[in-house]
Amino acid sequence: MKNSTIKKLHDMLLGGEISCVDLTKKYIDEINKNNNRLNAYVLTTEDEALKQAQKVDEKLKKGEKIGLLEGIPMTLKDNISTKGIETTCCSKILTGYKPIYDAYVWEKLKEQGAVMLGKTNMDEFAMGSSCETSYYGGANNPHNTSYVSGGSSGGVASAVAGNIAAYGLGSDTGGSIRQPASFCGIVGLKPTYGAVSRYGLIAYASSLDQIGPITSSVEDAAIVFDAISSKDYYDSTCSGACETTADKLQNDIKDVKIGIPKEYYEGLREDVKSALDNAIEEYRKLGAEIVEFELPILKYALPVYYILACAEASSNLGRYDSIRYGYRTESYNGIHDMMCKTRSEGFGKEVKRRILLGTYVLSSGYYDAYYKKAQNMRGAIVKAFKDAFTKCDVILAPTVPMTAFKKGFTSQNAVETYQTDICTVPVNIAGLPGVSIPCGVDSNGLPIGMQIIGNSFCEAKILNVAYQFEQATDFFKNTEMGVEF
Amino acid sequence: MIDKQEIMDIALLSKLHIDETEIDKLTDEMMNIIKFADTINGYDGEVQEFDNINNLSNVFRDDEVKDSYEQSEILKNVDGGENGYFPVKKKV
Repeated sequence: MKNSTIKKLHDMLLGGEISCVDLTKKYIDEINKNNNRLNAYVLTTEDEALKQAQKVDEKLKKGEKIGLLEGIPMTLKDNISTKGIETTCCSKILTGYKPIYDAYVWEKLKEQGAVMLGKTNMDEFAMGSSCETSYYGGANNPHNTSYVSGGSSGGVASAVAGNIAAYGLGSDTGGSIRQPASFCGIVGLKPTYGAVSRYGLIAYASSLDQIGPITSSVEDAAIVFDAISSKDYYDSTCSGACETTADKLQNDIKDVKIGIPKEYYEGLREDVKSALDNAIEEYRKLGAEIVEFELPILKYALPVYYILACAEASSNLGRYDSIRYGYRTESYNGIHDMMCKTRSEGFGKEVKRRILLGTYVLSSGYYDAYYKKAQNMRGAIVKAFKDAFTKCDVILAPTVPMTAFKKGFTSQNAVETYQTDICTVPVNIAGLPGVSIPCGVDSNGLPIGMQIIGNSFCEAKILNVAYQFEQATDFFKNTEMGVEF
Repeated sequence: MIDKQEIMDIALLSKLHIDETEIDKLTDEMMNIIKFADTINGYDGEVQEFDNINNLSNVFRDDEVKDSYEQSEILKNVDGGENGYFPVKKKV
C-alpha cells in the first residue's frame, strides 16, 4: 500500500505539514511531468482545483474542522458529468460538450470539498478493455508504458497508480473498474447495482453500469464508497441500501466462508493461477473457511453480457443526433444524411460494431433468439449466484485471466478481446459488488489482481475480507513516478 | 448467418453509414461476433423470466414542482441557439 493514501494526506493537511494549495500544486506539477508518458488525463482543471484548495486552506487557517475527503486531489472518468467542464466519453461525437449539471457522485464529492485535478481517459463510451478505443489514444500502464492500463477506466487507474491523483471515480459495466485496477496493481470497487446513483453518468448499458472508486488502498475505496453511496431522487434504481464500510474493515474474518467456483479458475495463465492459489492459502491462514463448488452457468455469462450490453448501448447511443450538443458533420443533404454522417464520423470502430450488434439482436426476427433469451438467462445467472451465497459469504476469483496487454493487442480480434472479460462480467450481470485488489506480480513486473465478490449490498463484507488480505500481504508495488511522500 | 445486405439494413436502422471499402471486413467481424453470441444456444438449463436486478417495481415519489434548467443554459451547447431553438441548416 503506498503511503500517500487519503488518510495520510488528510493528516498532513491537518498537521500543517503541507497546505492544500501546495499539495494541489504538487499534483499539478507531476501531471505536467508525467502525463505525456501516461496519457491518463484528457483535460486538466488546474484553476478550479486551486480555487477549491484555497478554500480548504482558509478553513484550516481559521481552525475549522475538515472532512476526510476535503482538499484531497482526485480525478473523474470522462463519462461522469461535470457542470460547465467538457465531458466527452473520449468520443469525437461529444467534443465540446459541456454538461449543464453535475453527476450525483460529483455533487456529493464536491459537497465534501474534493479537489478535482481533471478528467481522465477511457475507452470510447466505456466500450473496450484496454483504453485504446479512446478518441485521444489509450492511457499507458505506469508499471511499464509499453503496456496498456486496462479499460475502460484506464485513465483513472493510470493516474492513481502513477501517483498523479490520490483517487478517482470510474464506471464498471463489464469490469471497467476492476480490470484496469488489476492491470495497474491498485484497488477498484464495483458496487452493487443500485448502491450508487447513475445520475449524470453518460450511459453505456443502463442495467449494468455502476460508478465506483479506484484507489491505492482498500481503506481508501471504503472511504470513497461511503461518501458516494446514498439514495438519490434522480435515479429510481438507486436505493442507497448500503451500510457504511470503512468502520468494518478491522472485523475478524475467522470462519468467514470463502467460495471458490471451479469455473473461474479454468484457462488462467499459470502465474495468475499460482497467485490465486497462494491467496487462498493466505486466507486459510487468516482463519477463513474455503468452500469449493461449481457454477456451470458461468460459461454463458460472456455472450449473455455482450448481447445485453450491446442492445442497451444501441438504444442509449441513439440520442447522438448532432442537434442538441456535440459534433456535427460539415456538409449534409437532409436530416437522415446529417445524422448518418455525423454518427459515422463521430463514433469509433468499436462503438459502431456494438451499435450494429445491439440493433441486430433487437431487430424483428432476432429479438427472441438473442435479446429475450439472454435476458432470461440473466435471471438464471442471478439465481445461480443467490444459490452460491447460501454456501459461502464471499467468492474469491481472479479479476482477469492474465496481466496487462501489450499495446495494440486488442485491435486485432474483437472476440478474443471480449473473452478476456470472462471473470469480470458475471458480477455485472448479477448486479453484485466486487472489489479487485493486487495479489502478485508477473515476470515482467506487471501486477496480478484478484476479486472478492459479495452478495447484493454486502460491500462492507467484501471490503473487510479484502482489507484483511491487504494487511497480511505486501503486493502493492509503487511506480516511482508522480507525487510521493 | 448475417450477410452484407443485412449489415446494410441494420446500419440504416442504426443511422450509420458503412463505406463500400469497409463492408467485407465488417461482415466478417460481425459474423464472428454473432457466432460467439450464438453460444448461448448451448444452454439447455432452466431459465427465469427476468425483469430487473433488484426486483424493483413502481418507484414512486411525490409530484412536486421543482426548478428546471434555464433554456439559455441548455442552448449553450449549440453556441446559444437561434431564437430559443436548436439550429440546423435550412435545407433540412
